[in-house]
Amino acid sequence: MTRRRPSRFGARALTPYLYLLPHAILFLIFIVYPVGFGLYVSLHRWNILADEQVFVGLQFYQRIFTPGTPQFQFFWKTMLNTLLFVAVSVPLLIVCALGLALLLQKPIFGRNVFRTIFFLPTILAVSVMGILWKWLFENRTGLVNILLEALPFAKALPFLTTVGWAWVPIIVGTVWWTVGFNMILYSAALNNIPKSYYEAAELDGAGSWNQFRFITWPMLSPVTLFAAVTTTIGSFQLFGQSQVITAGGPLRTTQSVMMYITEEAFTNFQFSSAAAMSFTFGLLLLIVTAFQFRLMIRDLGRGNA
Amino acid sequence: MATVSRAQEPSAARGRRRLNAQFRELPRFLLLCLLAVIFLAPIYWMLSTSFKPESDTVARPVQWIPARPTLQNYQEIFASPNARFVRWTWNSLFTAGVFSLVTVLLSVVTAYPLARMRFPGRNAWFWFILSSMMIPGVIFLIPHYLMMIRFNWIDTYHALIWPGVPGVFGIFLMRQFFLSIPRELEEAARLDGANSWQILWRIHAPFLIAPMATLALFNFMASWNNYVWPLFVVHGEMQTLPVAITSFSSRYWTSYGKLMAGAAIASVPILIAFLFAQRYFIRGMSLTGLKDD
Repeated sequence: MTRRRPSRFGARALTPYLYLLPHAILFLIFIVYPVGFGLYVSLHRWNILADEQVFVGLQFYQRIFTPGTPQFQFFWKTMLNTLLFVAVSVPLLIVCALGLALLLQKPIFGRNVFRTIFFLPTILAVSVMGILWKWLFENRTGLVNILLEALPFAKALPFLTTVGWAWVPIIVGTVWWTVGFNMILYSAALNNIPKSYYEAAELDGAGSWNQFRFITWPMLSPVTLFAAVTTTIGSFQLFGQSQVITAGGPLRTTQSVMMYITEEAFTNFQFSSAAAMSFTFGLLLLIVTAFQFRLMIRDLGRGNA
Repeated sequence: MATVSRAQEPSAARGRRRLNAQFRELPRFLLLCLLAVIFLAPIYWMLSTSFKPESDTVARPVQWIPARPTLQNYQEIFASPNARFVRWTWNSLFTAGVFSLVTVLLSVVTAYPLARMRFPGRNAWFWFILSSMMIPGVIFLIPHYLMMIRFNWIDTYHALIWPGVPGVFGIFLMRQFFLSIPRELEEAARLDGANSWQILWRIHAPFLIAPMATLALFNFMASWNNYVWPLFVVHGEMQTLPVAITSFSSRYWTSYGKLMAGAAIASVPILIAFLFAQRYFIRGMSLTGLKDD
């Protein structure tokens, strides 16, 4: 090691930074800069064609919080729509995923085939999933309505165009589409529960409900927390399902806040207003994503140990 | 204790017990079968509809199996002057492929010094880039779009590839795998005069092939299935396949035979890929979550 000269040593000290450089450049351009730039846009009246942009301060944020403006009306209406979707879809995606994972917990003939089938829809593009469920729930000719008509106690419903019922294809479709993901998380966690716990409980005479209540459920709580947080983040970003299945209708009742932001930007060309809404909505989401971040860091700590 | 007493049973009794146990599993098995049918039904219905002539798609009673199977829908949408399925498929394949390749290489190269070298500012930089994972994606939509206009990247592959490349999830993941590689090999190679670049590709890379493949697959899927961003930055023949089938669908609002043919074209390649590589798919999916250790 004596042949290492000081000059080479100096070059070596630079080595780690050279590895970091390519990513750092892209990171600054596409992650750091856009946050600042987005904020800047939201504080100006942005006009793509103009050379100079007019500074307007918090005007676009004020509009979001001033009753009577269209921005106030539609932003909060679509925000409530989104919250409704989150409140219904997240518990469903947790409970159904847990149910499927529990059904597959003990060995059974064809277990891997079943697991593959339940997971299969998650790999489809949101547009394919949307077109599929729109077709299945089509007012007159959809399979769901044909089946409903065949039942003695039910009748066909114009799902896609009825306020309230329009959520059904979106929510059913979403559960079908993404439940496999949480199921995989639960299956992995169920595998990690030591069998001895169940054997001990059996010796103590605990029935299957009590085994679930006192062993399975508590042992799964980290996964449940993780699945709940990631599913919540995913559900808040509702876009494609509503866009394709109902186009936000009827009367904007299934329009999500993401859809409204893109409408404000790309249909109304109000980029500043849309940026202000992005930051308002993003700040709200930050509460959830920060939580997810903490869960990930906990994982990181374990990895380092 | 239970196992000991069971082992002492006569084999006939054990066989009966096993048969009994299998019978008790029958309701669970039937329930699983029912659920499997429900899960597969939409995909089956898509394929079934796509092979029917238009008039049969709405025929009553329902045709579960196409009575007059035809490729007409597929032929027509391929022949339609506005539908460029080959081009759209290529756009998706190319951008997802490049995106996945670039992100995996960048993740490895960036994670390497963060996990394996000591230098001032290492932890600060790691935490700085890692904390960007907290920023909700919606924040980037408007600034990225305005940047694409300024770069003249609207309707180009660049717009579909680059903005997502510096995401740090892959770096985070690769760093975790780097940390699990034993140090001894690296030290031996260094004594033999290998430089850090050689150590990375000769010593570390063989350990990283599986996670790299999984990350590549995962990023490919994420790019392929991306919807919001390509919907607004690329148009016409530059569209990606999953986005194109929805804009194309507005032209065929009511002809579900063609719609389903389009949906099938957009999903069958990925379904087949999934059936061949499902282990990696499933692992890739759970990588986004927590590693069960």
